Amino acid sequence: MTAVVTVKDLCKRYGDRLVVDHVDLDVHEGEIVGLLGRNGAGKTTTVECISGLRRPDEGSVRVLGLDPQHDGPQLRSLVGSQLQDSALPDRLRVAEAIDLFRGPRAMSVDGLLAAFGLAEHRRQAFSALSGGQRQRLFLVLALLNRPKLVILDELTQGLDPAARRDVWDAIRSLRDAGTTVLLVTHYMDEAEALCDRVVVMDGGRVLDAGAPATLVDRHAPWATIRFDARRSGLRAEDLSAVEGVTRVRLDGTQWDVHGNRRMIAHVCAELVRLGSVPDDLAVVMPDLEAAVVALLAPGSDAADPSQLELTGGAR
Amino acid sequence: MKTALKLIRTELRLVLREPLVLAFVFAFPIVTVLVIAGSFGASDAHSFANIYPSQWYVASYLAVVIGAIGLVMVPVHLAAYRERGVLRRFSAAGFPRWSFAAAELAVGVILTLVASAVLLVVAGLVYGLPPVSSPLATAAAVLLGAVAFTSVGLLLGAVVPNARAAQGIGLLAFFPSFLLGGGGPPPDAMGAGMRHIARFLPLTHVTSSIRQPWLGIGHGSWDLLVVAGVLLASAVGWRRAVRL
Repeated sequence: MTAVVTVKDLCKRYGDRLVVDHVDLDVHEGEIVGLLGRNGAGKTTTVECISGLRRPDEGSVRVLGLDPQHDGPQLRSLVGSQLQDSALPDRLRVAEAIDLFRGPRAMSVDGLLAAFGLAEHRRQAFSALSGGQRQRLFLVLALLNRPKLVILDELTQGLDPAARRDVWDAIRSLRDAGTTVLLVTHYMDEAEALCDRVVVMDGGRVLDAGAPATLVDRHAPWATIRFDARRSGLRAEDLSAVEGVTRVRLDGTQWDVHGNRRMIAHVCAELVRLGSVPDDLAVVMPDLEAAVVALLAPGSDAADPSQLELTGGAR
Repeated sequence: MKTALKLIRTELRLVLREPLVLAFVFAFPIVTVLVIAGSFGASDAHSFANIYPSQWYVASYLAVVIGAIGLVMVPVHLAAYRERGVLRRFSAAGFPRWSFAAAELAVGVILTLVASAVLLVVAGLVYGLPPVSSPLATAAAVLLGAVAFTSVGLLLGAVVPNARAAQGIGLLAFFPSFLLGGGGPPPDAMGAGMRHIARFLPLTHVTSSIRQPWLGIGHGSWDLLVVAGVLLASAVGWRRAVRL
C-alpha cells in the first residue's frame, strides 16, 4: 500500500514544553486512521504539522510525497482539512463560503449540499447556522475539491447522535471512494466504528497503534460472563475454581464472572458439566475505550475491574 | 492570483456587512465634517493658512476616512479573524498569508476611495468642493496614505491579543489622531504642546500630504516621505509578527 502520510521522529515544542515527542506515524492509501488520546496528548499539533500549519522542530513529514512546509500550495489542493478551533467569518453565507473555497477540481456543489442537509441553507450566514450545520459545512468544504487525504479534527463534537451517524456514513462512503482519512477524536465509539487503524497518543508520544480489535486484545484481554444467579444453584467457589477466572461477584441477582478470554469456554463447559445451563448467559467483551483507558494508565490496569475489587468468592 | 481576487471580493462584501465599518468609515467622517466645518466655517481664514475654513476641512477629512480604516476597521476585523480561527481555516485551505494581507490592502484602498467619494458628495453639496490644485500629487497622497494605514492596521491586528483589545487600542489611537491630526480644531486653536504632539502622529502627515497639494499651499513631499516611512515600518513589523 502506498503511504499517504509518513511522519518520522516528529518533535514540536511550545517554548520549553515538548508537545510532540518523537512521533512516527504512517497512513496508507484508502485507510481511515484515528488519532486518539486525552486533551493535550499532542494530536492536534501533530495534524497541524501534517497540514503544514506548523513547522516541525525536528523530524520529517511527508504527505503524498510532498513536504507540507515547502510544497504547501500544491499540497493544499490535494488535502481537505477540518481543523479544531477554526471558524468562518460570521457574515459569510454558505454559498459564498463554497464559492470562496472551491478549486478547479471541485465536485458538484448541489449534490454535496444535499448530501449534508445544507441545500436549504445556501443563503444563511455562518453565524446563523447551528453547531451541527457548521460542522457539516466544514465537512462539505473539506470534501469540496476531491481531496486525496482528508484530515478531520474533532469532527462530530457537538453533533446529536443522528447527525453523528450521518457524518460517519459520509466518512465511510468517502473511504469507499478511495479517499484516505486521518481522524482526530476523543470519542472511542467513533474510532471503533470508523477506523481501520488507531494510534493512541499521550504526553506527545505514540503509546501504541493497530486495528481497534488488536488494541482491545492487547490491552484489554479480559471478558465478563453474566447470568441469573437465582436458578443456577451455584456457589461462588464453583465458579472461581474454573480456569482463567479472576473474580466472581454476585451483582444483585446476577453472577458476574470475570477473567481472561479462555475463561469463557471453561465456564460454559463447567456450567454444562454441573447441569446448570442458564437461559440468559451473556458475554461482555471490552471495547476500545477499555483498551485505551488501560493503555493510558500503565501498571494500574484501571480498566480491568478484577484489579480493582476482589469481592465475591476466593480465588 | 485568482484566489487573491476571490478573497478580495469576499472580504469587500464582508466588511460592508459590518456595522462598525459602516458607522466608522462612512457615517463618522461625514457627520463630523458637517459639524466641524459648520462650527468653524465662520472662523477667521487666518487660522487656516488663509484658506476658507470649510474647504480646509473638506480637504482634511479624507485622512479621517484613512485613519478610521487603518486604526479601527482593519485591526478589529483581523484580530477577530485570528481569535476565531478564520485565518487558520484560510491558511489550511491553501490561501497563503500574503494573499490575505494583499486582499486587506486592496479592501483598504477600495474602501478609502468609496468612502471618500461619498464624503465628498455630501460635503460638496453642503459646502462646495475646493478645487484640486495638483490632482496627481493629491491622488498619490490618498493612495499612499490608504496603503500605509491599512498596513498599520494589519500590524496592529497581528499583534493585539484579541478583537476587544484591538477595539480599545484602535479607538485610543484613532481619536487623538483624528482630533489633532486634521479633523479637529484648527491648528491655531490648539496650544503649542498640542501642535507638538500632532507632529508625531502619523495621521497628521497623511492629512498634510493630501491637503497641501489639494489646496495649493505646499507640495507635501516631506509629509509623503513620513507616510512612506510608516508604510515601510509597519510592513517590516507585520512580516516579523506573522512568522509561523
